[in-house]
Amino acid sequence: MNFYQPKNLSELFRYCEATDGKKYFLAGGSDINVQLKKKIITDGTVISINHLKELHGIQELDEEIVVGALTTFRELITSDIIAQYFPYFQTSLKQFGSPLLQNVATPGGNIANGSPTADAVPLLLVLNARIRILAKSKMHKLPLSDFYLGYKKFNMKPNEIIGSVHISKDAERDWQTFYRKIGSRKSLAIAKLSLAGMKRIENDKITAVKLAAGSLNEYPRRLKNTEAFLVDSNMPDEDNLRKILAEDITPISDMRSDKDYRFEVCYRLLSRFLRIE
Amino acid sequence: MEIKFSLNGNDVIVDVPPMKRLIDVLRDDFGLSGTKEGCGEGECGACSILLNGLPVTSCIMNAVHVIDKKVETVEYLAETELGKLLIDCFDEVNAVQCGFCFPGFVVAAYHYIKEKAEADEQEIKHALSGNICRCTGYVKVIDAVMLTCQRVKERGMR
Repeated sequence: MNFYQPKNLSELFRYCEATDGKKYFLAGGSDINVQLKKKIITDGTVISINHLKELHGIQELDEEIVVGALTTFRELITSDIIAQYFPYFQTSLKQFGSPLLQNVATPGGNIANGSPTADAVPLLLVLNARIRILAKSKMHKLPLSDFYLGYKKFNMKPNEIIGSVHISKDAERDWQTFYRKIGSRKSLAIAKLSLAGMKRIENDKITAVKLAAGSLNEYPRRLKNTEAFLVDSNMPDEDNLRKILAEDITPISDMRSDKDYRFEVCYRLLSRFLRIE
Repeated sequence: MEIKFSLNGNDVIVDVPPMKRLIDVLRDDFGLSGTKEGCGEGECGACSILLNGLPVTSCIMNAVHVIDKKVETVEYLAETELGKLLIDCFDEVNAVQCGFCFPGFVVAAYHYIKEKAEADEQEIKHALSGNICRCTGYVKVIDAVMLTCQRVKERGMR
């Protein structure tokens, strides 16, 4: 296992271009150290980027809030800017990991680790967050929903990193919001499942809805079929809602839960959310 | 790699592999064995230390993470006025059974009291929620922290 610590981003990308083999970018360390311990990572190079100032901080621009990829969750949870624009996001993040993990873990790491259970990702998905990908030659932005291609498969090239997360300032304005994380205990639980939702209701009709689930697919993702089905509908009946939900989630059975439980709880959370006024 | 950081109030330099886990640096290179390894995966809180004043689990951090930063372990906190009071209160309400998780609880509770010092049960539960005890339970642990908060107030330590 090799190690490299660049002084800045340009040094980082020069090194990446010149170096072959697997590369692991070290942020807060809370995922990578577990993977090292379990020997999921055994060779390649660990590149420390946690100290790079360009990747830290919360910035307010005209239209959007920019969160450096390696800002800690604690910084997000205690940020006045986040409290002002994204109270739903901030309150929901308090359920992330544990207070100890919030002090080191980062949204960049949570997104790039690609775990199906990543706590922050469903929230960012319903907020229509975009991420900025940094590379040696040019950077580009893409919707977070386009970042995942499969289990730990990303729409990103080998020598690229996530630089920042971008959320439109009005992302929460005029939406009714919902977030539930279901785990064995409140803190420290890896979610059995989670559901984030935002909706707009006029005259008992859903005029807009965004839904994202964690631990229910090979990566956290929006429930597009269910969203389309719900828009402009009155409250659907149980059978139809179950049917459409089954098109969007593919729960599995594992050490934390089984697929029937996951489906049932997801359905109930969803119907609870749809009834909340 | 030379790692320069502040450890328990002193500037130190240690030459270790950059990815050496922080808990191993503390225990092996500095003999600070108060920091315990429980799960080794950041899920139990036994290895908690303060990094720049915030509690973190040292088993999922590496030597590189502490460069130019301030690390405080339970040995150091235990010698402070607040640390002594905390330990006395844990003792007084019999909150400690086997003792393995106790250093981690002291670190988390120390940080909570430094930051808030309110005897608010819900807040305390949240602050200690990253620390797991497998012997007994949390009722007396929370009592101990509540008691410490009251004493801190009574003694005007804040």
